[in-house]
Amino acid sequence: MNIDEIFDYTSFTIDREPHIVLDPQVCVGCDNRGCTNACPARCYTWSEEEKKMTFVHDGCLECGTCYVVCHRNAFTRWRYPRGGFGVAYRMT
Amino acid sequence: MSTAYDAIVVGAGPAGSSAALTMARAGLRVALVERGTFPGEKNMFGGVLHRLPSLEEVFPDFWERAPLERHIVKKGVTFMTGDSSFSTTIEAGNFDRPPYNGYTIFRPRFDRWLAEEAVKSGATLITRATVDELVSRNGRLAGVTILDRKGELSAPVVVAADGVLSFTAKKAGLRQPTFDPGQMAVGVKALIDMPRELIDDRFGLVRDQGFANEFVGCTGGVRGGGFLYTNYDSLSIGLVFHLGSLRTSGKTPYDLLNAFMEQPQVDKMIRGGRLQEYSAHVIPEGGFNMIPELVGDGIIVAGDAAALCNATGVNLEGINLASHSGVLAGRAVVAAHQTGDFSRRGLQVYRELLDDSYVIKDLKLYRKAPHMLHNDRIYNEYPELVCGMMEYIYRIDGAPKENLSKLFLKTAREKVGLKNLAADAFSAWRAL
Ligand SMILES: Cc1cc2nc3c(=O)[nH]c(=O)nc-3n(C[C@H](O)[C@H](O)[C@H](O)COP(=O)(O)OP(=O)(O)OC[C@H]3O[C@@H](n4cnc5c(N)ncnc54)[C@H](O)[C@@H]3O)c2cc1C
Ligand code: SF4
Ligand code: SF4
Repeated sequence: MNIDEIFDYTSFTIDREPHIVLDPQVCVGCDNRGCTNACPARCYTWSEEEKKMTFVHDGCLECGTCYVVCHRNAFTRWRYPRGGFGVAYRMT
Repeated sequence: MSTAYDAIVVGAGPAGSSAALTMARAGLRVALVERGTFPGEKNMFGGVLHRLPSLEEVFPDFWERAPLERHIVKKGVTFMTGDSSFSTTIEAGNFDRPPYNGYTIFRPRFDRWLAEEAVKSGATLITRATVDELVSRNGRLAGVTILDRKGELSAPVVVAADGVLSFTAKKAGLRQPTFDPGQMAVGVKALIDMPRELIDDRFGLVRDQGFANEFVGCTGGVRGGGFLYTNYDSLSIGLVFHLGSLRTSGKTPYDLLNAFMEQPQVDKMIRGGRLQEYSAHVIPEGGFNMIPELVGDGIIVAGDAAALCNATGVNLEGINLASHSGVLAGRAVVAAHQTGDFSRRGLQVYRELLDDSYVIKDLKLYRKAPHMLHNDRIYNEYPELVCGMMEYIYRIDGAPKENLSKLFLKTAREKVGLKNLAADAFSAWRAL
């Protein structure tokens, strides 16, 4: 199995308005960045060169991991998407 | 939008739909509010649906009508290390006779069906509606608002059945403002399409028989475990990780899942299948000690929202506890409508019903299990010990044999340390 493909099998109705918003400044001083490896959908990317956190909400599985793992409360918003938007499981 | 109900249920998962069904059958006007385009769209689990004693009471032909997959007749545990594994299975005749001891199901189908049953009983299902705020009037809970919709839904009482993160319980001040990663786990799962005959032949199944296997030692040293369940024509395979351990490991769930699926013995089980869907969800694994305030003024918390999940290691019980607590929440609301008292005191009967049920009794009984499962040796050294011993026992190569108990002690001393072995055996005994 090609792991890069695994993400393509899940369906989404993407909301332009993100349901998770984070303050990247908080991440700059973070000593652990558990979100980058614990997120099952690769939504968090930390660039060591630019010292910058990038978050994309598109492929978010709404699993809750980052909400639990972030110990610095970097979120200015963490809620579920508006009704009808976000991940749409068919079979699981 | 401004409509009055007797009760509002937030979330149409097993807890919410069970609560709505119970209240609707008692004649209450119930709003069952779900953020998905249909109930179940947002929900994943392992998973095996266990028996549901309380729903079976309200709903005698439940098992004939529910959309189920295979019933589980064969249960297995596999200890894994690198390219070796040791498995045990139990296949019991009793598991192959009704009432069956559990079925595989798909959440998008099952949850949708259960919510529709609540609708048939008279509940109003409102989908594509993410509950946002709790509304209070004169110091009393009066309803909820929906994200991006005007107006509100009003009712004197709300059942928070919105799952593990329960923002509803948080807004009511009933749950802790943040979670301890040490009390939470995340599960990731791949659904793999496979022809039914292939599944039957590969796992030794006939008719509607199903197989459920758990794995230890397959999580790259992160605390957790794996599972493989058979559906009619697909396999559910996945891993569960404790979040405290995953966070510091630097490892990713999908790489570990990939490695698990490539392990030679697992690879043989899923070979010939086609990946269908990938999903993930957090599990409240803190057990009894994690349970929040269950009742507030005008509000009751049920299911995962109340951390009512029992993860003892071999079984993961969640849907059954969610559904049971939902039914009891429904009963408590019906009782409160008779007295007109929706205060914390008036709703307290929920707490009593729950304390009296297997939900709290089991969680209390296993209250030490979550602690035991935070022992790294379970996930590393013990699977190695088991596989190493078994390999030795079965290897016949002309080398003189050692006394088995001596060998066990020697291997245990090397891998685990005898003091640790004794301590672990003791804590396992105390916990279980
Ligand atoms: C990987 C994994 C494996 C598992 N395996 C098993 C198993 O084998 N057997 C078992 O019994 N249990 C298992 N569980 C546990 C089980 O899935 C849960 O305990 C169960 O789903 C809890 O039901 P619930 O109704 O309380 O919550 P949920 O099923 O989470 O339902 C909550 C509902 O509320 C909705 N919602 C949330 N917020 C809002 C809002 N603001 N507005 C409107 N709607 C909202 C959600 O969309 C969802 O439909 C597993 C869980 C996981 C993650
Ligand atoms: S754990 Fe929180 S603060 Fe740290 S990098 Fe991740 S989101 Fe930012
Ligand atoms: S909710 Fe889950 S999938 Fe979404 S960003 Fe957080 S960790 Fe990633």
